[in-house]
Amino acid sequence: MKATLEIINRMQSDGVIGKYAIGGAVGATFYLEPSATLDIDVFVSFHMVPGNLLISVTPIYTYLASHGYKAEKEYIVIEGWPVQFLPPGDALTEEALEQAVETAVEGVRTWVMTAEHLTAIALKTGRPKDCARILQFIESGLLDTNSLDQVLSRHGLLAKWERFGHRFLGDNE
Amino acid sequence: MNDWMRKVLESKRQMRKQIAALPFSEKIKIMEKLRDRSLAIASNPLRRKSLHQG
Repeated sequence: MKATLEIINRMQSDGVIGKYAIGGAVGATFYLEPSATLDIDVFVSFHMVPGNLLISVTPIYTYLASHGYKAEKEYIVIEGWPVQFLPPGDALTEEALEQAVETAVEGVRTWVMTAEHLTAIALKTGRPKDCARILQFIESGLLDTNSLDQVLSRHGLLAKWERFGHRFLGDNE
Repeated sequence: MNDWMRKVLESKRQMRKQIAALPFSEKIKIMEKLRDRSLAIASNPLRRKSLHQG
C-alpha cells in the first residue's frame, strides 16, 4: 500500500486532486484491528474547472491511465490495490475530509478520517458491515463521545444513532 | 455463560486490543496478508464448485 499512497500523493502534488482522506475499512484500521478488504476508499476534493459545475473524476482516470494504471469497474488499480476515488457527496463527508488526521504508512504521509466521522458515515450508510464497524468502534472505547455527538447532531443523525442503540446495544433509554 | 467461556472471550478481546494498538504501518501489513488470503480463497476452484452446487 505504500507504493499506492506514493502515487496518490504524487497526484496531489501534480494538482490532479486536492486534499484527500482515506475512509472505509482501511481508514477504520488506523484505529481498530485490521479487517479484510479488497480496496481502498479515497475521498478527494476536486479542483473545480471554472464554468463547470459538475464534479468529474475524468482527470484522475486520465492522469492514472497516462501512468499505465488500468480502470476496473469503479476502481483504478494502483500498485496492486484497487482504489475508488469518491467525491464528498454530502456535508458529512466534506467535513470528514476537511478534518482528516495526518499519519504515515511506512514513512509515506497520508490522511485518515477521524474515528467519529468514520462512525457517522458508517451509521449513515447502514449496511451490515457498517453496523459491525460501529460496534467495533464502540467496543474499542476510542470514540470521543462529545465530538461524536456534535458530528451526529450537525448532520441530523441523532435519531438514527438512537435507533442503532436500541437495535444493537439493547439501549432502552 | 461459564467461566471458561468468559475467559476465552476476554482473551479474544485483549488480543484484538493489542493488535489495534499496533502502528498503522504494521496493521496495513496484516491487512495486506488478509487480502491476499481472501483472494486466494475466492479463486479456489473447490470453493467455486461448492458455490455452484448451492
